[in-house]
Amino acid sequence: MLFHTWPFVLFFLIVYPTYLVLKGTRFGLCWLLAASYFFYACFSPLYLILIFYSTFVDYTAVTIMDKWGRRKLWLLISIVNNVALLGFFKYSGFVTENLNVLLSSLGIPYAIPTPGILLPVGISFYVFQSMSYTIDYYRGNIEREKSLIRYAAFVSLFPRLMAGPIERAKNLLPQLHKTPTVSVQNITDGLSLFVVGFFKKVALADYMALYVNKVYAAPEQFQSPALILGTFLFCWQIYFDFSGYTDMARGVARMMGFRLMLNFNNPYLASSLGDFWSRWHISLSSWFKDYVYIPLGGNRKGTFNTYKNMFLTMVISGLWHGAAWTFVIWGVAHALGRCLTRELERTSFYKERVPKLVKQLFVFTFVTFTWIFFRAESITDAWVIIARIFTSGFANPYCPLLMLALIFAVWLYQFAYESRLQWVLALRPVRVAIVVLMVLYLAIFAPSSEQAFIYLQF
Amino acid sequence: MQKKDIPDAGYSMFDARGNRKSRSENQELRTEGVPFSSNYVRLPGREWVIVGIVLLAIFCLAPALWERFEKFEPELNYRLPYELGEDYWLYNRYCRWTCSVYETLVIGDSVVWGHYVPKDNTLSHYLNETGRRPVGSSPALPGGRNQFANLGVDGIHPVALAGLLKYYGRQISEKNVVLHFNPLWMSSKKHDLQTTKEFHFNHPRLVPQFTPNIPCYKDSYSRRIAAVVERNVAFLGWTSHLRIAYFENMDVPTWTLEHPYQNPLGAVTFELPASRNDDPQEHVSWEDRGISKQDFQWVEPYTSLQWSFFRQTIKLLKARKNTVFVLVGPFNEHMLKEKSHSAYRKMKSEIEAWLQQNNVPYYMPPVLPERFYRDASHPLSEGYDMLAKQLFENQSFKSSILSSASSAAAGPQRGP
Repeated sequence: MLFHTWPFVLFFLIVYPTYLVLKGTRFGLCWLLAASYFFYACFSPLYLILIFYSTFVDYTAVTIMDKWGRRKLWLLISIVNNVALLGFFKYSGFVTENLNVLLSSLGIPYAIPTPGILLPVGISFYVFQSMSYTIDYYRGNIEREKSLIRYAAFVSLFPRLMAGPIERAKNLLPQLHKTPTVSVQNITDGLSLFVVGFFKKVALADYMALYVNKVYAAPEQFQSPALILGTFLFCWQIYFDFSGYTDMARGVARMMGFRLMLNFNNPYLASSLGDFWSRWHISLSSWFKDYVYIPLGGNRKGTFNTYKNMFLTMVISGLWHGAAWTFVIWGVAHALGRCLTRELERTSFYKERVPKLVKQLFVFTFVTFTWIFFRAESITDAWVIIARIFTSGFANPYCPLLMLALIFAVWLYQFAYESRLQWVLALRPVRVAIVVLMVLYLAIFAPSSEQAFIYLQF
Repeated sequence: MQKKDIPDAGYSMFDARGNRKSRSENQELRTEGVPFSSNYVRLPGREWVIVGIVLLAIFCLAPALWERFEKFEPELNYRLPYELGEDYWLYNRYCRWTCSVYETLVIGDSVVWGHYVPKDNTLSHYLNETGRRPVGSSPALPGGRNQFANLGVDGIHPVALAGLLKYYGRQISEKNVVLHFNPLWMSSKKHDLQTTKEFHFNHPRLVPQFTPNIPCYKDSYSRRIAAVVERNVAFLGWTSHLRIAYFENMDVPTWTLEHPYQNPLGAVTFELPASRNDDPQEHVSWEDRGISKQDFQWVEPYTSLQWSFFRQTIKLLKARKNTVFVLVGPFNEHMLKEKSHSAYRKMKSEIEAWLQQNNVPYYMPPVLPERFYRDASHPLSEGYDMLAKQLFENQSFKSSILSSASSAAAGPQRGP
């Protein structure tokens, strides 16, 4: 059940009014949990076993920590359990495949059977969220949640269940403790977020996917211009897809009186790679910063260790996205880029003399280039694309002009948003016109196919 | 004015007086500072009301206004072009037009539409032509006028036809309707949509989306709900019309992939596609095409989905105060093997019994000569001509359709 499909509309039309009636009562939380579990079961009822298991183990670990001590042991149990869950469901196929390649190259005539496990939707997100609860409790940052139902609702809250944002217990649990306020402003704000997200996903991301999928399905058949445009469009597709999803998730949550964290902040206007990662998938970046980079030592143990920690964090982040070497290379590329540019960005020349637009262009180009590894079906495909971008000749790319015009319009909007022209966007007629045009565009021109969110596969 | 986003207040352990806060207080503070979004499209209630009013006005008025700009002037013997077969919004518009001009509507599938014949050789054409001159004991219709409109849809089947008339043919009331039933739709479980294995059939958006269950229809819930919504929201039907009529039955994004450098707005010419030219190679009989005799696995009428929906269509049209005349076949019985032939006769007699029991005027024409068929169910031009003449000599047709058509035609003159 995806946000931009009719079943979700139907689901929400049933769940929401009931939620509004029950939210102040003792049944409110139960209803929220039941709705969230139903929402998740729509993908596969078997997933419920998994999410409940993950929830129960972390809840129990913290309860035992609180009542009987041995905090380190139970933290370890929680972390090992969560990592094992991810490892089994997400990486077992990848590990097996690589082991088989190794065995074959060593001449051993044995192949380990591939597990053939499908990755459960949202597992990477709720496992990280649940894990942050036990770590935060261990660190003394939060109090123990006594109610299993509330904790289960925190882990499974349906607006953010599919692909985040990865919320922290200290943000979301307190909201589940009190009766959420659903004011008119909450509803209108939620609606605003939802409409923008819907537009980003259906009108922009799914549109760009048509061209990107065509090019990336058979890169050897395309020449440089098509490959460049395909990569450029994927750069925007993934942004519109994921930030569109997040806007819809935050919008639905806002309508229910919950405030989820900001996950994207115009990342393609970043003027450094560090800036990019503080604007892109913020909930994951900050998770890695808080639970990987800082525990590794952060920037406290000298320059070498800082770069080492930064590098490791980025590589792990790459691997988090998917069990494939393409994601590892993507992570390594970002790690290298971040390490190489960090010192440059600190120089007064770069800070003062290089125009912001040039910096933005540099970051955008680098990020776009690395998306090749993220999107390519295999490393071979990625190299083919890179090689052909630089070596193949010119051929008409047959890229729809409307697609490029839409991207330019969005870029212009973002540019205006971060410039002195911001006041224009704040004008009431402009805002109303933008929303009317977005809805009309969706109603008249939107693609009829329903494509899943890219981040659903992570 | 737009409310300013609250900057993230951060996580402070102390309050304004410097006293240490409890953990729960701190936890609550965190939620206050969540930034709204990375854009300014944030509308308060009043602006949403304006958006709602503007959109509602556009949604209600756009389809009606569109009809003023888009030319739709059906000529004599018009039939909906094959390419627009799934343009139900246009079908609805065509229904309105025919109901205001014609006395008798001929409704059915590709047999009525005339799949293998030019538009000037269809059943409705020959009915009009026959009506202009006396046939046997039937006098010519008053004024020698055209009385019969071709409302056939190529590729439609009774289950879909029931949906088409229910949702898009609401204007058909107090008219004469010649409703054609093609027995081909009961010639196998697959034709009758009863197989549990999913397969693609025509006009899935018109069949019942949830109940009763169509065993072979397994589309996603999302698409099913979308189909239900589209039936009830004219604006969405109109957007489908744009897609089908101007964008080669593709959504605009897909169309731009095929025409990357064309302006999509330029494709909207306000001129509907004309009926396709007829292929002379199609005027070849089934024998000349080398088709052998077939052994159809007929479905019993009492278990048939198609027949069940056809009966519903009769009831629906009657409930709308139409005079309904049912034409069954003529099926190409020459193509049937003996065993299949006897099963067909049995099925036909059961259909006849139901029509008689329910006082539905009908005609089951005898089989046409072999050379007048293109395949199992489609007559060629000569076949339609013969069928029209037979109808004009049929007592039931004369008493139900021709008599009311004559009296109506005696009134004020209308029509092409």
